[in-house]
Amino acid sequence: MVSLWKTTSLWIMNPTDAHQWQQLAPLALVFLVIDGLQKFIRENLFWFLGAGAGFAFLDWLGPRELLLALAAILLSFLAWAIIFHRRFRFRLEEDAIRVRRGLFQKRELKVRFARVQNIQLGRPFYFRPFGLVRFSLETPGASEKEVELPGIPAELAEIMRDRVTGWQGGEPEEDQSNEETVGSHGIELYRAGTGRLFLHGLSSNQIWVLAGLVGWAIGNFYDHLESYFREVAIMQWLSEFGGPAWMVISAMIMTGLIILMLLSGVFSIVRFHDFRMFDRGDRLVGIGGLLDQREQTVKRDKVTGLTLQQSALGRLLGCWYLIVRQTQSGDQELSDSQTRFLVPGLRRDDHRLTAQITSEWVRPASLNPISLHFRRIFWLRWLVFFVLVLVALAILLGREHWSLQMTAAGLGLWMIGIQLRWRHWGWQADGDRIWVRQGFLGQQLDVFDLALVQQVRVTRSPYQRRHDLANLQLMLPQGAVTIPFVPMDDAAELANRALYAAETAVTHRV
Amino acid sequence: MTGITEPSEFSNGPVPSDRLPDYRRVGLNPVARPFYAYSLAVTGAFWLIVLVAVAWMPRLPFIPFDPAPWSVFAMSGATIWFCVVAWIDARRRGWVVREHDLIYRYGVIWQKTVIVPFARIQHVETASGPIERLFGLLRVKCYTAGGMMADLSVEGLDVRSARRVRQYLLEQIREEADETDRSERESAENGQPVENDKPLDHESD
Repeated sequence: MVSLWKTTSLWIMNPTDAHQWQQLAPLALVFLVIDGLQKFIRENLFWFLGAGAGFAFLDWLGPRELLLALAAILLSFLAWAIIFHRRFRFRLEEDAIRVRRGLFQKRELKVRFARVQNIQLGRPFYFRPFGLVRFSLETPGASEKEVELPGIPAELAEIMRDRVTGWQGGEPEEDQSNEETVGSHGIELYRAGTGRLFLHGLSSNQIWVLAGLVGWAIGNFYDHLESYFREVAIMQWLSEFGGPAWMVISAMIMTGLIILMLLSGVFSIVRFHDFRMFDRGDRLVGIGGLLDQREQTVKRDKVTGLTLQQSALGRLLGCWYLIVRQTQSGDQELSDSQTRFLVPGLRRDDHRLTAQITSEWVRPASLNPISLHFRRIFWLRWLVFFVLVLVALAILLGREHWSLQMTAAGLGLWMIGIQLRWRHWGWQADGDRIWVRQGFLGQQLDVFDLALVQQVRVTRSPYQRRHDLANLQLMLPQGAVTIPFVPMDDAAELANRALYAAETAVTHRV
Repeated sequence: MTGITEPSEFSNGPVPSDRLPDYRRVGLNPVARPFYAYSLAVTGAFWLIVLVAVAWMPRLPFIPFDPAPWSVFAMSGATIWFCVVAWIDARRRGWVVREHDLIYRYGVIWQKTVIVPFARIQHVETASGPIERLFGLLRVKCYTAGGMMADLSVEGLDVRSARRVRQYLLEQIREEADETDRSERESAENGQPVENDKPLDHESD
């Protein structure tokens, strides 16, 4: 049964072979080693650099031992990759894909095509000359990519992709006929230029992650950096400019931030390079990336909602991004952004995409605000809290203490924050779908079908009961969406409508 | 994004809101009586342990901790307060099985009502801790898609009704699944309001 692949037969592929047990191409080893090393470094970096212990260890070790240790690590990864590669088998079946793998414990996995919601084809630059791709599948609820085949011939991957997406529980769909007229991927819905991608990088929250990392690294290497600075006499060089120290320091911080933003912009270009989105009938395709070109295919009927998002900086730059939402396990959203179908660099008028992705989901002109009581109660509560703190500080530290002014300033900012929060909340039911907006400095607009609601929660505090208000929480396959401080009757009607939609929906499960 | 239906047979007119079944119009079944005692016992025991710890702390030779005398009074007050809240909560708690969903209400200060359509339940199970078993209680847990947040645990059912509810839910899930298959094939009519106002009869014990 097992067809052993020779290196020479790598890029000559007969589609009928797909039904036999297959192995990964030998070049997959490169991917396995790189991927394994990446994971190893990511997981052990903090331990290694934590409190400079790793650094001290390196100083103690000496260069020759260090090289030996590195070689040992590399070799062990290579050995692991070789064994993994040798044991790895996969097979395409009528309505499913089957994978056998495992180092010590053999595991066999079968994923039915009907369950698949997301297919990724990755083309890392080192695979491209050999016509290989990385193929991965995701099913709802799985916390990681369910099936990952690193290093299979592109033709085979494309056959598998078409089989998986075309599978509707009956005959595999034949939509090859219209493909010629609309291009190999379908109708192009959107294309992000390099400039837009750069703006996306500038405005994405990624730069704060980068800033955090840099700050953390500087904190750890401070001793080394300090001696280095002394060597190059940077402080003397800086003081020659004249000007007070705080100015110099803030100028340095600003410079650092600008560099980070530029870097983030460049990262975004590398990650999404030449991003295009296609409509391919029953599926959506997104393609982009420079070093690792990724092609993501999502089945339309597995889309559970859309999210339009804009960060605070994105607001200034007029830059949005869109996330095509699918069923997720709860914690995935935080950890892994790789599998999300993200459309970067949108302008305001690109919002028409929502209507093209789904059936006429057009952003409504206006949204219903939430109750003014939201602002009133939070202003009042926090005012009382801050006044109590101020009184306590005045008694303990004296009226002249600087912390009083700080607290008063904090109170002002807090009040503005509540105002912003209140102003951003909004909702609009449009037939059986609903738009919900929330935000603080940035904003987020969710839209979804009420029929997909998994559970409805209505919560009321004593204050809300007095004013006939409620918090409505709709549980969706992609996570919860909350609308706070809605008039009780509106909340009940929305809840009833959502339940009605869910209970009369033709298909039930995600 | 819901299913595939023949365009000719599919109608999707708006349903007037007064024709929608209102979840507020259904009377809820109270939780089983032993739950009152159970709730009181668990809350009381927890706070009593804290109270005893605070009261005994100064007498222990090796811990240099001397709480103010009023803290014991404060703790006693807290114990009484939480017990009262637990009692009121138990009295207010309620659940009901409608034709197409399960409603559960709980909470004293923050009053919550949770409604789960059968069509969205993926899996049902019953569970009970040792103390719950002592009081003859069983929890019904319903799992839906959307992560841990979206799971509902209905507490305060006696063993018999919990088993009945679980059985009923399982039957409903199966029926819904069958119906889905059928409607997918026959493209069932859509747009009639569901009969969802009549709560299922519940034998109170």
